[in-house]
Amino acid sequence: MKHRIFVANRGEIAVRIIEACDRLGYDTVLGVSSADKDTLGARRAGRVVTIGGPRPADSYLNMNAVVQAAISTGCTAIHPGYGFLSERPAFAELCAENGLTFVGPSPEALRALGDKLTARRLAESVDVPVSAGGTAQTANEVQQLAERIGYPVLIKAAHGGGGRGMKLVESTTELAEAWQLASSEAEASFGDGTVFLERFVQDAKHVEVQILGDRHGHRVHLGERECSVQYRYQKVVEEAPCTALPEATRALLYQSALRIAEALDYVGLGTVEFLYDVQRDSLAFLEVNPRVQVEHPVTEAITGVDLVREQLLAALGEPLSFTQSDITLTGNAIECRITAQDPENDLRPSPGTVTRWRPSAAGGLRLDTHIYEGYRFPPFYDALMAKQIAWAPDRAAAIERMEQALAAFEIEGVTTSLPLLSRILAHPVFQHNTVTTHWLNELLTEKVNS
Amino acid sequence: MDIDLEELAAIIEQLDKTEFTDFLYEKGELRLHVRRGGHIPEGAIQSPAAAVAAAATAAAPPVPVQPSEPAAPPAPAAPAPAVVTSNGHSPAMSPDALPAGHILVTAPMLGTYYGAPKPGEPAFVQVGDAVSADAVLCIVEVMKLMNSVTAGAAGEVAAVFVKDGDLVEFEQPLFAIRAAS
Repeated sequence: MKHRIFVANRGEIAVRIIEACDRLGYDTVLGVSSADKDTLGARRAGRVVTIGGPRPADSYLNMNAVVQAAISTGCTAIHPGYGFLSERPAFAELCAENGLTFVGPSPEALRALGDKLTARRLAESVDVPVSAGGTAQTANEVQQLAERIGYPVLIKAAHGGGGRGMKLVESTTELAEAWQLASSEAEASFGDGTVFLERFVQDAKHVEVQILGDRHGHRVHLGERECSVQYRYQKVVEEAPCTALPEATRALLYQSALRIAEALDYVGLGTVEFLYDVQRDSLAFLEVNPRVQVEHPVTEAITGVDLVREQLLAALGEPLSFTQSDITLTGNAIECRITAQDPENDLRPSPGTVTRWRPSAAGGLRLDTHIYEGYRFPPFYDALMAKQIAWAPDRAAAIERMEQALAAFEIEGVTTSLPLLSRILAHPVFQHNTVTTHWLNELLTEKVNS
Repeated sequence: MDIDLEELAAIIEQLDKTEFTDFLYEKGELRLHVRRGGHIPEGAIQSPAAAVAAAATAAAPPVPVQPSEPAAPPAPAAPAPAVVTSNGHSPAMSPDALPAGHILVTAPMLGTYYGAPKPGEPAFVQVGDAVSADAVLCIVEVMKLMNSVTAGAAGEVAAVFVKDGDLVEFEQPLFAIRAAS
């Protein structure tokens, strides 16, 4: 059977998925909003259908329109990309009910992972390290739990994500009120007021393991990535592998990720995220992202594995074509997210028409993008324009290659984050890899204050 | 085989320079039928309007080019020829270049287009029907949810651009309505 894949996403990831399908010989149908008819994805797809208006709720988040479009165009599977519908159990179910293969894990796995408290319990149940924490009912119990964990503590929404629904509590006097507030905010934002407590780790690195499973019980990991350079919980620069990990910790990291994958009978691509406390040399499970990640190319660069291709094949029932021992990690890769955001103005979004777009064509580079000269960058979606990836045999060489790539990149018409990325790459803290997740926030706040 | 709007326009332009009343062209699945002597737009002196029928599929049942009723009400400002497909629905005009006084009814959502309330029943509207603003013109089905599409303005149905069972995309032109003055 010739597969026809419905691509339910936009931007660079839509282009990436279409490209993987093309090489597999699969037909593609791209569902676009009325604001996205001129995107690169729309030019590359086998067929394009307009599924709704510019607002995501009317198009990319409209489950019925997406599934109807996929059925009516004779698609066999839906690739949801990242964001939008990629982590919605109800969407995965709707696909299944209509005979469409959802390119992602089962609805049950999505449901278990969508609730951070459930995911945390799952990790604990298979002896994966988690931060001190938990949940409680009465104000008194919450108080006691916080004392046991030790301040400062973080209140998190079970159904939150991307940094939303988190509150930092420094002392016992703020706790009761913050707990109440967090719960009502979670109720309002995520439709579920469940919140829980976790120890706040001041200085930690964000590390994550790429996992991949098929429908025949095979599961592998493809090494780790470090994504500590974040601004307001948004990743800005990522790399693979994480050079700050001692070997024993790295081994624990991989084991932990695979145990979680096994517990979920995980199918497809997933990322198991951890915080790594460098001082204490301790890992704590954060969450699982059950989809392809923005930063997947750094893993592809050091493993040589085409993750989107493997993800599609696994979803369509093919057994993995390699085992764990076939996977070797070579060299270092860095990814910079080039966004339409103004670093001089608190990274305010800066949509507009791209009048000049000239990336570097030097060796060791890869650019994932949906931008071309003359493209009108719309104001309705996220600010990601491109992902510049650089690979080299070692980290210092990869940094150098990236610095050159950023310096040579000519972009006009839209204010971008390029200057900020160059500044990060040149910073001694980044070069020595002592970055923790708060570093960039502090760097940018300093700038405002000085 | 298909014929695009530019080619169609070129053919009509050429025909318009000749003396003819009825022109039929068939090649493969393409069937093009142009007839002179339809409505004469008010104030249009130079070019008499032509009626054109382009049937893209031979499979579709042949249907009279135009209803045999004699003179349809005069079009207030319709210098463009009317186009009728063999299934009775009609890309009477290009949705991209509607004549003055016409409005476009577009699909409010993506879905499957149905011109009739149920299979086998008569269509909600035909070309030439007078409709009120709240008249239902068709149904767009999305995942078994039926959504009625109304005319939005009173007038006469001047064209139907899609056929039963088609996937219609968001904002795809469905009908042209010649607005009542």
